[in-house]
Parts: sequence; structure tokens; C-alpha cells
Amino acid sequence: MTNRTNKRKAILVTPEVCIGCRGCQTACKAWNQLPGMKTKNTGTMQNPPDLEPVDYNMIRYSEVPSETNPVRWLFVSRRCMHCDDAGCMRICPAPGALFRTKEGAVAFDKDKCIGCKLCVAGCPFDVPRYDKDGKIAKCHLCYDRLAEGMQPACTKTCPTGALRFGDRDQLIAQAKQAGYGKIYGEADLGGLGTIFAFKDAPKLYGYADKPNIPESVIFWHNVLKPLAVIGLGGALAGALLHYVAIGPHKDDDEEVKKS
Amino acid sequence: MSEMVRKAGNEEIINHWIMAVSCILLIITGYGFLFQLKGVYALFGGNYAMKVVHNWAGVVFIVSLFATMFNYLREALTYDADDWAWIKMGGGYLSKSAKKAPPMGKLNTGQKFYYLVILAAGIVIAASGFSIWQVQGNRALTQVSHLVHNLAFILFVVAVPVHAYLGTLANPGTFRIMVYGTVPIEFARKKYPKWMKEIGK
Repeated sequence: MTNRTNKRKAILVTPEVCIGCRGCQTACKAWNQLPGMKTKNTGTMQNPPDLEPVDYNMIRYSEVPSETNPVRWLFVSRRCMHCDDAGCMRICPAPGALFRTKEGAVAFDKDKCIGCKLCVAGCPFDVPRYDKDGKIAKCHLCYDRLAEGMQPACTKTCPTGALRFGDRDQLIAQAKQAGYGKIYGEADLGGLGTIFAFKDAPKLYGYADKPNIPESVIFWHNVLKPLAVIGLGGALAGALLHYVAIGPHKDDDEEVKKS
Repeated sequence: MSEMVRKAGNEEIINHWIMAVSCILLIITGYGFLFQLKGVYALFGGNYAMKVVHNWAGVVFIVSLFATMFNYLREALTYDADDWAWIKMGGGYLSKSAKKAPPMGKLNTGQKFYYLVILAAGIVIAASGFSIWQVQGNRALTQVSHLVHNLAFILFVVAVPVHAYLGTLANPGTFRIMVYGTVPIEFARKKYPKWMKEIGK
């Protein structure tokens, strides 16, 4: 893992070989110094129930019995997808709060985060969380480890190869060679940085068939932002035009005498 | 010096200035957020400082907007036939020649509409802003709040400059109300005949 080229890196998730040991969750906490957290048992092995400010990744346990397999239990890693066309980066208002590393990860700088939560609104996967200081918290692909030529803590610790880190192109090629026809995230949102070799439909694992940036965010970005400039410019130009073409208000003098 | 009529009290004048300054601060910082304007961030001392300025200017703005309800709300909700006539002639602003405007009270129809729109938009933008600021862990609410906050922002950046223009260049003699609160009595008789009748001048 000393490859320092500018090629895009990725994590390949192969749920088929995941044994649900949650070593990735523990390794992530250890490296990123995230405290433990009290959770409730909701009748599933899944713990924590969802991503939290102190849980950058998690294993989702889906119980989806099929006709041939009454105990089908699917494990899948859930974390930031490091989208190429990242909804969070598109709309983040704070310069430098979210940034793209040379490996293609979407990382963050808490000092520059202003806590507006636009990234929460813009994420197609509901990933970003906010810590107790009101700052963004999510997977950053251990970009601090990558900078030292190491791989992320989660992939390093995974005992079965369910999580594998490497050059994105290579991982995709390998997964296809291994017989996975379609790689989830290969082309979605410009290509995800966390890609999945699903054996079953993505929906069974809890992932949308076609992930999209929320429409309200697209509308905000493509329509309202330009309108805010056109609106102000229009109002100022209209006022100027009125002043030049029509001029200040005049009153009928006769009216004045009568009243 | 001609006789003066007091149109706005001191508290009204001070409150309007507070509202104007906080509103302009909010608009400047708002554009800074919207387009990641690094210069504007630097002006306010960095990312976090600008957020603090924006949030607290918002609090000042909404408090001062609520305070205006004592001054204008009752008047802004009172309409009669003259208002309808005023709307039909567009307040006389769209014609070059001097037109006879229907007699108006303390506020004309346009001002009443403007006030109600700003009051409503102000409540909406403050509520959505408060939600963005304080609510965590509710994605749908955050999405709606940002959308509504931006829609109201567009309304403000259109309405406020028009309001400022109408209160200064478009109507010579009105800006002094924002400074002194008084206008010459002849001017008042011309502009607010119904109100003058009401107060017996």
C-alpha cells in the first residue's frame, strides 16, 4: 500500500463474504478516536442502529428471507460513498469545510464547518452527521492514513476481504472477473468511491436502485441561486430604469389645495 | 420654516434603523454563504464568525420586525375603496405625468402590502433559519428549511432594494421621516390626506 499515484482510490464492499464481525466499526473508532455509545436493542444484531457522529461506518444487518432461503441474512457496510458528483460538496457554503483529497475521498475540516447542515440535506445516502459541537462527522476514507501510504483502518482490519481498498479501476475489474456483473456505484453520481459487488438487488441491502441528489437541493442549486442574483440585479436595474424613464413621484397640485 | 407633522416616533425610527442594518448584514452574509464568497467571509473574520454574525443578526431582525407590529399592523390590515383605486392606477408610479392618486391614510396601499409581505416572509425566513441553526437529526426538516429560507431570501433581495428606492429617490421628501420622523404639513396633506383628517390637521 505505498501507491501514491493520483489515481482514484475506492473501497470495494463484497457483502457475500462479510461475516458481520464489525471489526471495521471497531477499527474505525480506534483510529479516529471515537468514543463508544449507548444504544438500544431493537431486535436485530445491527448496532448501532444507524450512523452516528461517533460511528463513521457500520454494518447493516438485513433479514430478507427468500423462497429458497428462509434465513437469508445480508450484511453490508454503510458509510460515506465519496461520490464523484457529491451533493454535499455541491452545496456546502463554507470554503474548505469539505474538500476532495487526491485519492478522490470527500474529507472535512471541522474548523471550517459552520454547522449549516446543508450536507445533510444534499446527501443522497443520508450519511453526514453532526457532533455535539454542531460540526460535520462522517467517514473521510482515513485520508490521514492514506497520506502515509497506509490503507483505511476498516479495510486493514477486515478479516475476510469483504472490505477491500485499492485503485478503483482495478477493484472494479477484479470484481467483474469474480463474476459480479454489475458493480453498484460504478457509474452512479459520477461514480462512487465506495462500490458494491451485490449478489442480490441493491434494495435488499437497503440501497436505492438509482441514488440521486435530493430534488430540493438540485432546485436550490440550479434555480434559486441564479434567481437570487437575477432578483437583486433586476430590482436595482428596475429602480434605475424607473428613475431615468419615469422619474420621481409627482402629485396633482389641485388635489393638494382641496384637501 | 413651515409647520411640521410628526409621522414616526423616536422608537419607530430607531427600530427601523436596527431592522435596516440587520437586514443588510443578513443579505450580505447570505450572499457570502450562497456563493462561497471568500472575500465576504474574510470581511467578517472567517467561516464561523460569519455564521455567528448571520445567526444573531437574524435574531435582532426578527425581534425588531415583531416590534413593528405595534406601529403598522393595524393600518396594514385596513382597506377601503380608495385602496382598490390605488391598485388600479399602480400608485401612479408607472406614468410619467402627474396623476391624481386616490386619497391615502398614513400608509398607502403599496406600503401596506409591502409590510404584510415582509412580515410574512420575515417570520418564514426566521423560523426556517432557526430550524437550520438549532435542529439536528431531522433530514426532511433540514431540506425544507433550506428551500424555504432561500425562497424567502429571493423575496427579500427583490423587495428590500425596491423599498429603499421608493423611500428615497422615487419619492423626494420621504427619507427625512426615517431620520427626523417629521414632514412639512403641506407635504403630509398631499400624501396622507385621510390620516391628516383623522388627526384634525
